[in-house]
Amino acid sequence: MTLLPISSPRDTRRLMLKLVAKHKLMAVTAMVCLLGAAGLSLVTAPLLGSIVDLAVAGDVSAITDRVLLVGGAALAQGILAFGGLTLVARLGERVLASLREDFVAQVLDLPLDRIEAGGSGDLTSRVTEDVAMISQAVRTALPDFIQSALVLGLTLVGLAALDWRFGVAALLAVPIQAATARWYVQRSGPLYTARRVAAGGEQQQLFESVGGAETVRAFRLNDEHVSLVGRKVDATIKLIVAVTRTQTQFFGRLNAAELVGLSAVLVAGFLLVQAGSVTIGAASAAALYFANLFGPINSVLFLLDTVQSAAASLARLLGVITMSDPVAESSAKSLVDGSVKAVGLRHSYVADHPVLHGVDLDIPAGSTVALVGASGGGKTTLAKLLAGVHEPTSGTVHIGGVAVSDMDRLTLRKAVVLVTQEVHVFAGPLADDLRLAKPGAGEEELRSALDAVGWRGPDLDTVVGDGGHALTVTQAQQVALARLILADPLLAILDEATAEAGSSGARVLESAAKAALRDRTGIVVAHRLTQAAAADSIVVLDHGRIVEHGTHAELVAAGGRYARLWAAWSAHRG
Amino acid sequence: MFAQRGRILAASALLVAHQAGEAAVPVLIGVVIDKAVASGQTSRLLFWLAVLALDFLVLSLCWRFGTRIGTVAGVQADRRLRLAVTTRALAGPIDMLPGAVVSVATSDARRTTMVNFVLPHGIAAAVGAIVAGTALLAVSIPLGLLIVLGTPPLLLLVRLMSMPLERRSSAQQERAADAAGVATDLVRGVRILKGIGAERAALARYRRISRESLRATLHTTRAEAGYSAAVIVVNGVFLAIVALVGGRLAASGSITVGQLVSAAGLAVFLVGPLNTFGEITAALAAGRASAGRIAETVGQPDIAADSVEIAMAEGEFVCVVTEEPAPLLRGLAARSDVLVSPHHADLFAGTIIDNVTAAAAPHMNATEVMRAAGVDQVADALPDGLRTTVTERGRSLSGGQRQRVALARALLADPPILVLHDPTTAVDAVTEAEIARGIRTIRDGRTTVVITTSPALLAEADRVLFAGTSGTHAHLIRDNADYRAAVLA
Repeated sequence: MTLLPISSPRDTRRLMLKLVAKHKLMAVTAMVCLLGAAGLSLVTAPLLGSIVDLAVAGDVSAITDRVLLVGGAALAQGILAFGGLTLVARLGERVLASLREDFVAQVLDLPLDRIEAGGSGDLTSRVTEDVAMISQAVRTALPDFIQSALVLGLTLVGLAALDWRFGVAALLAVPIQAATARWYVQRSGPLYTARRVAAGGEQQQLFESVGGAETVRAFRLNDEHVSLVGRKVDATIKLIVAVTRTQTQFFGRLNAAELVGLSAVLVAGFLLVQAGSVTIGAASAAALYFANLFGPINSVLFLLDTVQSAAASLARLLGVITMSDPVAESSAKSLVDGSVKAVGLRHSYVADHPVLHGVDLDIPAGSTVALVGASGGGKTTLAKLLAGVHEPTSGTVHIGGVAVSDMDRLTLRKAVVLVTQEVHVFAGPLADDLRLAKPGAGEEELRSALDAVGWRGPDLDTVVGDGGHALTVTQAQQVALARLILADPLLAILDEATAEAGSSGARVLESAAKAALRDRTGIVVAHRLTQAAAADSIVVLDHGRIVEHGTHAELVAAGGRYARLWAAWSAHRG
Repeated sequence: MFAQRGRILAASALLVAHQAGEAAVPVLIGVVIDKAVASGQTSRLLFWLAVLALDFLVLSLCWRFGTRIGTVAGVQADRRLRLAVTTRALAGPIDMLPGAVVSVATSDARRTTMVNFVLPHGIAAAVGAIVAGTALLAVSIPLGLLIVLGTPPLLLLVRLMSMPLERRSSAQQERAADAAGVATDLVRGVRILKGIGAERAALARYRRISRESLRATLHTTRAEAGYSAAVIVVNGVFLAIVALVGGRLAASGSITVGQLVSAAGLAVFLVGPLNTFGEITAALAAGRASAGRIAETVGQPDIAADSVEIAMAEGEFVCVVTEEPAPLLRGLAARSDVLVSPHHADLFAGTIIDNVTAAAAPHMNATEVMRAAGVDQVADALPDGLRTTVTERGRSLSGGQRQRVALARALLADPPILVLHDPTTAVDAVTEAEIARGIRTIRDGRTTVVITTSPALLAEADRVLFAGTSGTHAHLIRDNADYRAAVLA
């Protein structure tokens, strides 16, 4: 399996800058506001320091002035912080929204064989976990991180402004903090990833056991499955405890850094006051400054990890977003009709392991062909090549006189639609699901498509799919066939579209399929031979080759493979 | 949850000590200023710095172990709840979607046990606030009273400001979950979208929902920023008042300058525990709601099943032709001597052979059963044969492959009465006929009920039950027009 690409750190930075640059004014204003707020937050400590000095001098009226300044600074800081935080959040949310939209757009644009090669699990995890990771970082970590970083930088400046030696003393904590941050980021990254993986495994096990509860109960496997879930929970617990252990060690080391820095500042104050270089007030201010830094320092270092994880998620999103688009040259030729002509089709998914060995097929427009044969004979592969999902290893497919490889996506979809046994009902009102196939279709049109497939299910405005009204497999497949009718292609391929339903459902689907294939060319992969018998002609595939081709009557008379299948099928039907 | 009482108490005690240590830091800074910096005596400086170091050691270690013990208390309780919900969901049919059950077992369990984790922090915050208040009162009665009496209204003010925010943020989360849900839904169904050429329509829909979600989020961000800003202003103004009163007291000589520094530091420190209170109230409310949902899930009654009686002789092979199989299947599944293998039987993580032998009776011959169910052909067509890994609950196999593996599993369990529902709808006619004979051979002498309309299976039955009558397939085909219509269409 070829995983989907991940963008390099350099590209990620470049692309992010480009995204932020779209909102340049907003970004600059936000920075100015936050810088101002951080600057004002530093005014408090020296003001308190000077209040201390004034108290020593006994100057009460000047104290009141300073106090008013403290209050005023807080007010101004609040206003600036409000502006800055709002803008940062807006910027972050806008960038996030355009990221997720671009991602979904790109996924919908990817050629199907690229998605299948990468595995839909990878895509799903990117669109859920990675988007969630970035949202979390944008919403919770980013404002905190920026504010703390600004306060941190400005405080060091403020300390140095009191006396440069205070600045030097405070810097004594930096080596310990730097080493701690490095230690933490190295450990926490893999640990958090492991915890996410374990939590994902637990979730998956829960879905498997709870979703398969009927089967679990039938085979009396309850205890076994509870203990399976228990084992997964234990694995997560182990990692949660390990994460906590690392975090507490991290903060323990930071405590050491705080102690070293604070002691150094106090000692510096002691010496400087002795030397008469600074007042007691200045020494107090320096100590308070430094003590107030504990919070911001810890949150910056702690958030480094979130920032790192978010960057990794970002790289996974951007990797997909920037995948080079396959060239889609528009074909000048228009489709004549729904006829199909395949010449010398060969295909192998793995090199030297061919699934099709030279298949030739000629289907006149408007007729229905049944593909039959044992499993593993290549029926599904042939269906996918004809639908343009995969490019054949060699050979050509023409629909309506135009080569499938020359069609742009729009032409291809007008030419051919493939319905497989994979059913997915899109969450939302049933009408919205159907309109995916034909945006702007009126209710009448949707109803008549549903009527055509013999719909007995809920009404158009019923919310269906995940979290909504659960449709039966038969109903879901009816919806798929109704979509096909609405999409109205020249050629429709049904790959075992009736196999999942039970025997009574199969009959409903068979007549639905018949309605969906009316007035177009149809290729049907089917096990129920009533479908084959009703087709205009039948193609029997075996081990990647066409072994028989003809009408039902011809093939039964020929006494070959199809005749044997038919005999087995009709043996007990009177 | 109460099983973790000891851990919660230990964690609370340690976190209380940590809070006290944190509260002592600004006090000690004031002391150093007073005793050492103002006096200029090096020995005092060294002594008080040593005390400061000791304080750091205590607060750091207490936090480390208090947090660890609190975490363990939380996750252990979490484990019990998760398993309780799982056990219930597996015990009998429940009127809840699997997704909802999983969400109760994970999100609600976590929110409930979060209480275990925050409780020690809450207790510690309360004690921290008391210690800080006492220290302030020791510094100066009027200043202490100002701060101690001033903080509760401050706390209330901040809480009042945050309440609309909490309401909005849950609405926002729903909207955001909506956008995420639609994206996941579209990506899961991407093959179908591409199959019908619905890429543009799908993207248009996603953009609309993403923009709606963005608008809702932007609305909340303003409220959030407003809240943060208000906290800054309220704290700043409060600090100013403390400085005003404290400064005057220091100027008049009622307190020392070091005490003024301590008081200012303590006023700042108090904000921490106060914020913790707010978070804890929210966590407790969420925990209560979640605990209610867990209790409701665990206490859900089974979906009622009608008792079903099918007249069958021991060792008989009976087929049932019915339009409405669900009540019959539910009724049979409720009986302890019956194994019902569902039509949409789920396979579980593991290899094909793991799945086939999941519930194997010890005396059964797996190779023989797999041949009878056609699993040998399935294995031949797969790259790793019987060792092929099954993923996505069997969705990695084709429908026909999955059906045969599930059938082999059911046959190998060898129950006294086996009920199969449409076991061969996705296999070709020749294979179906072979499997029908295979089921008969393997189940020889054991009672088997197959719910189906497939003539290949019906023909193998000793007796077919149809609309109140019974007889062999051949007889019913000959004599009963309704039966012909039901099975030959």
